[in-house]
Amino acid sequence: MSNSHIFLKPGFINVPLQNGIGRYVGQLQRVVLKFCKNNGSSRGMREFIESDLVNFAKNNPGIVVYLKPRRHRTAVIKAEYLNGDTQWLSCRNFSKDEIYKWLELLRKQQKNHEGSRIRKLWHTENPSIQGPWTPFTFRDPKLNLATFPDEELGKSENVASTSQDELVEMFKRQKLLELEAASASN
Amino acid sequence: MALFLKRFCSQFKNLQLNTSNTLLRNIQAISLIPSIQNYSNTPTPFEVVDTEEDNKAKNQILNKVNSLVADKTHGRLFAVVHVTGKQFKITDGDVIVIEGYWPPDVGDKITLDKVLMAGSADFTLIGRPIVEKGLVRVQATVIEKTLSHTKTHFRKKRRKQYMRINFYRVPQTYLRINEISFQDEINNPKEVRGLETAIFS
Repeated sequence: MSNSHIFLKPGFINVPLQNGIGRYVGQLQRVVLKFCKNNGSSRGMREFIESDLVNFAKNNPGIVVYLKPRRHRTAVIKAEYLNGDTQWLSCRNFSKDEIYKWLELLRKQQKNHEGSRIRKLWHTENPSIQGPWTPFTFRDPKLNLATFPDEELGKSENVASTSQDELVEMFKRQKLLELEAASASN
Repeated sequence: MALFLKRFCSQFKNLQLNTSNTLLRNIQAISLIPSIQNYSNTPTPFEVVDTEEDNKAKNQILNKVNSLVADKTHGRLFAVVHVTGKQFKITDGDVIVIEGYWPPDVGDKITLDKVLMAGSADFTLIGRPIVEKGLVRVQATVIEKTLSHTKTHFRKKRRKQYMRINFYRVPQTYLRINEISFQDEINNPKEVRGLETAIFS
């Protein structure tokens, strides 16, 4: 995936009006379907208006639907949301089904998301219930009573043995072998 | 299937200890399947020093948690839920986004059933892999269905006159978590449970 989207405005999830805490409120307020009565590029829009628009309006009593015929202009959907956002969508040469699909998208949206990307798939007001992790969580409580400097606690872990240590070890082993040999001969 | 095979093999292994070499050929054939070799059915070694003392401590903890649940004095609850391949740590009032095609429509009230973990400030229930079905209820409302920003999938091979560009948008569903609650007391499984949300036709 290319990184062109990183130039989009980044943001976090922001739900208008605390929607869904009590009941769900549809956020699409108004939708204006603009089309030409003659031009071929508006054909799908005209078909949609003829066949599906009445049902759409009936099923969504909360949405005001306007029709705006204009001569020799391409078909356009303009949506207005409860938070004041407007979204403009060109529907040039769209088929009836495409227009239905885009209108459903606008209906189910909360606001205009164009030109921004979300950075996280999670939003919370209470990020931690059991308390955030600190370096002292799950540690032995006896650490609370320790007095520093402490020989045992201050000891560093995973210290590689020095060559001097190894020499001492070798010397000791040699001594042991000598002792064993002496005892065997006796 | 893998789990079945695993069990199947473990039985063979037990037999192998007791009986003769006749079964050995089978075991070799099975051990060709690489994923099975990594598993071990031996339980983690543990030692209970005093069973009575151990049970007493366990019951004490359970009673404490149950009294919290019964009086609803546990405070704010959290849960880890598994939704469409992703896990979310949620509490009341959270909003999560589920990516990819997901049928629920806006305004739908749903319960999230795959609860992997649930708890409050003082205790945690850990599912193996999920918490007992029907014990913890996570209610959510679908508040939005939208599409992500346009993502670009660009491929190029050098010196091969090969270049492809593809644009796509991922369907996203916004979920508001309404309530996480305990439906029952813990460690008291019913004979039949978790059928409250099941649909019989």
